[in-house]
Amino acid sequence: MAGVFAYAPAIAALPFVSFVVALLAGKYMPKKGALAGIIATAGSLGLSIAVLVTVFLGETYNETLYTFVGGDVPFELTFGLLLDPLSAAMLVIVSLIAFLVHVFSLGYMNDEGETGLPRYYASLGLFTASMLAFVFSDNLLMAFMFFELVGLCSYLLIGFWFRRAGPPSAAKKAFLVTRFGDYFFLVGVVGVLTTFGTAQFAGEEGFPALAETVLNPETTAQAVNTFGFEPATWFAILGLLVLGGVMGKSAQFPFHTWLPDAMEGPTPVSALIHAATMVAAGVFLVARMYGFYALLPTVLAVIAFVGGFTALFAATMGVVKNEIKQVLAYSTISQYGYIMLALGTGGYVAAFFHLTTHAVFKALLFLGAGSVIIAMHHNENMWDMGGLKDHMRVTYLAFLSGSLALAGIFPFSGFWSKDEVLYEALVHGLGGSPLLLGAYAMGLAAVFLTGFYTIRMVLLTFHGEARSDTAEDPHGVRWNVKLPLAVLGVLAAVIGFLNPLPIQKLTGLEVDFLHQFLDSGPEALLTSSHHYGDLTHDYAGYSVGTIGGGETVTMLAGAGVSLGLALLGAGLAFALYRGAEPTRHTEKLGGLQTLLMHNYYQDEYQVWLAEGLTLRLSGAADTFDQGVIDGVVNGVSSVSLFSGDRLRRLQTGIVTNYAALIVLCLLVLLGAFAALGGWF
Amino acid sequence: MTTRPQLHTETSKAAGILAVALFGFLAAVFLTSGFGTATGFAEGSITRSIGYAMFNLDAGDFASEGFLVSFITIAIVLDAALDGAVMLAKRDEEGDS
Amino acid sequence: MVLGAVPAEYYLVLSAAVFCVGIFGILTRENALIFLMSVELMLNAANINLIAFAFYWGNLTGQVFGLFVMALAAAEVAIGIGIILVLYRNFDSVDVTEATTLKW
Repeated sequence: MAGVFAYAPAIAALPFVSFVVALLAGKYMPKKGALAGIIATAGSLGLSIAVLVTVFLGETYNETLYTFVGGDVPFELTFGLLLDPLSAAMLVIVSLIAFLVHVFSLGYMNDEGETGLPRYYASLGLFTASMLAFVFSDNLLMAFMFFELVGLCSYLLIGFWFRRAGPPSAAKKAFLVTRFGDYFFLVGVVGVLTTFGTAQFAGEEGFPALAETVLNPETTAQAVNTFGFEPATWFAILGLLVLGGVMGKSAQFPFHTWLPDAMEGPTPVSALIHAATMVAAGVFLVARMYGFYALLPTVLAVIAFVGGFTALFAATMGVVKNEIKQVLAYSTISQYGYIMLALGTGGYVAAFFHLTTHAVFKALLFLGAGSVIIAMHHNENMWDMGGLKDHMRVTYLAFLSGSLALAGIFPFSGFWSKDEVLYEALVHGLGGSPLLLGAYAMGLAAVFLTGFYTIRMVLLTFHGEARSDTAEDPHGVRWNVKLPLAVLGVLAAVIGFLNPLPIQKLTGLEVDFLHQFLDSGPEALLTSSHHYGDLTHDYAGYSVGTIGGGETVTMLAGAGVSLGLALLGAGLAFALYRGAEPTRHTEKLGGLQTLLMHNYYQDEYQVWLAEGLTLRLSGAADTFDQGVIDGVVNGVSSVSLFSGDRLRRLQTGIVTNYAALIVLCLLVLLGAFAALGGWF
Repeated sequence: MTTRPQLHTETSKAAGILAVALFGFLAAVFLTSGFGTATGFAEGSITRSIGYAMFNLDAGDFASEGFLVSFITIAIVLDAALDGAVMLAKRDEEGDS
Repeated sequence: MVLGAVPAEYYLVLSAAVFCVGIFGILTRENALIFLMSVELMLNAANINLIAFAFYWGNLTGQVFGLFVMALAAAEVAIGIGIILVLYRNFDSVDVTEATTLKW
């Protein structure tokens, strides 16, 4: 079965081909390039599944395919493939979501008669291709390149409706905010390359392994260039630099502001961005180089706290939003906060588990929202909806499944994964790292809010009486909308059983499939989850602590608390927004609502940073540049112009003058020789 | 009108000072340096020796290098110069004012 | 040893004098023909030196070169006269200060 790996590059190449086809020939194709994209992503999905099966059977792949800078240089820059359990599973998720989004786009874009479809499908293809290539990158530099391509494509897609006022501005914002984070990432990549001489993720030659050797007190320290810092300090700096890119892409506080605005893009694009590609890229990068982060307790604590804080912070804003996509946007930020929290607290498997379930249910929720938006003739205000459940049966059921998963209600997928995230935070917090308990508390508070805003969204959208004419008689949707919704709806309900840890703890059955899978793979790659567990234990001092005398009790207590809180939030929302004509309860919050509606004035302060501070600074720099730097350059040129003009007068064209000069110079020369040589 | 070349005499003599100064300098240098006595030529015909030297013949009263190649070269140069002078001096055959 | 009484310095001073007369002519006059004559003077100043040092070293080479210089001077004059003719044809004058169109 190793032959499958030879075709692995095609996973990313196929969507790239569809990008080229849609770009060049999309105009002449019956569905404007959609079919090319669907076929390509279906091919990618098939290949990804083949790769996943191969990896599941114990084969992995870590090869450099192409060296574009090599030979007599300090470090080689290469392209290569790393296919281990993590990337194989991620490939399947990404290609599955991309495939469903392509199908859904038929309903959302083609059936709605949008223009510019070849451009849309071309961007979508490139987006998928770059994300897939990012996932199977075997080194940090290649990952960075495709990371940037992902950012570029999201810019193209968010600004797809470039003739309206909002989208271009939102696209620019997304591009600039993520690019701000990526600056740090780029510096981090260069730092990793100069420090370790390699940017490989896996294996004994990979930089996480090298860093481990350096930090291990038992081995003699290898010589790596740490620029005069203590190795641990320097590695923490590198980790934080790379983390900058992660926080930008994964919309972690304070770089989250681009994500709600990105809702200006077409809804299928939002689904793709939020579930599988753009935002997932950030956390996936942390998981990919977890062997490096696991060595750095400070960075792990930062990740955990940023994650926990973002989870809570975004959830509070989601509570008051009126547009369905805005609520979903803040829930995305919040959920990625959970994933970061899991990574920061040593829950590598929990993070990937939540990434998986979130990809499914968030794609589902966005596609469901897209279906609602089609039905509502592109009105996104939830207060204009209501009563849609009778008109749109499939959408309602699927959306409900996704919502319950998001809220973390047993037994939907979100419950299992969110519970495991919180469990990891709790046990590592109890086991000697009390700081993590703070992050855990924030995550727990966010559970309540998540339950509240999710149920509020569902009630306002689908229940009660129709509150507008369009909601009375919604626009129907076709199979190409319903099919992805149905697939994802079923998945969102059952995918949690990939890894139902509480069941395993209670019954002793070996049902923690994801744990086993991520733990498999050859030891030589050093990417298995138990290796990461050892690292966090040895270097970050994470150990498992319990309450009530056992892991099972701790787990059940944690799960009970989070489920209780989720149910409490959901119940509160249900109580408040039940009825046929729900009232706007959030208005009772008064000033707090204003604060939340304005997103804590995050945008305002960032605009101030840009306009009040940066613009002035750059204005001063511009003055300096124009005045001093250009002044010197212009001065030099005018001096030489002037002196050249004057010296030119020497060339009179009159032979006599030349002769006189020659004679004069001869005299001077002779005089000098006479004086030096002592002729007299 | 007849355009015969006219000799200008009303020119600045200031530059001439340079020539005078050069002469003064050179003369001062030469007169202050001692050359000693000259070797001179022994008895014999210098002119005949030059003639033989020109043709690389070793029959003169004084031994010398041969100058045949230089002689021929100078001859060609003179010839070329004459041709050049004639060409420059010749008016263009057609359409010349 | 008939000429042995005349020291080499005198020849040199004579040569320098002739040379400087040539330079003087070039520096102060504007007529191209005078220029040619001045150049001729300078060449012959060099000739004096050649002959003087041929005698000084007892070597024929200087003498032979004197002849060559004369031949070259003849060539130079031939070309020079040709150039002056062209100059006159183009500028209606043999004044070297007028032919300044080749400068920058």
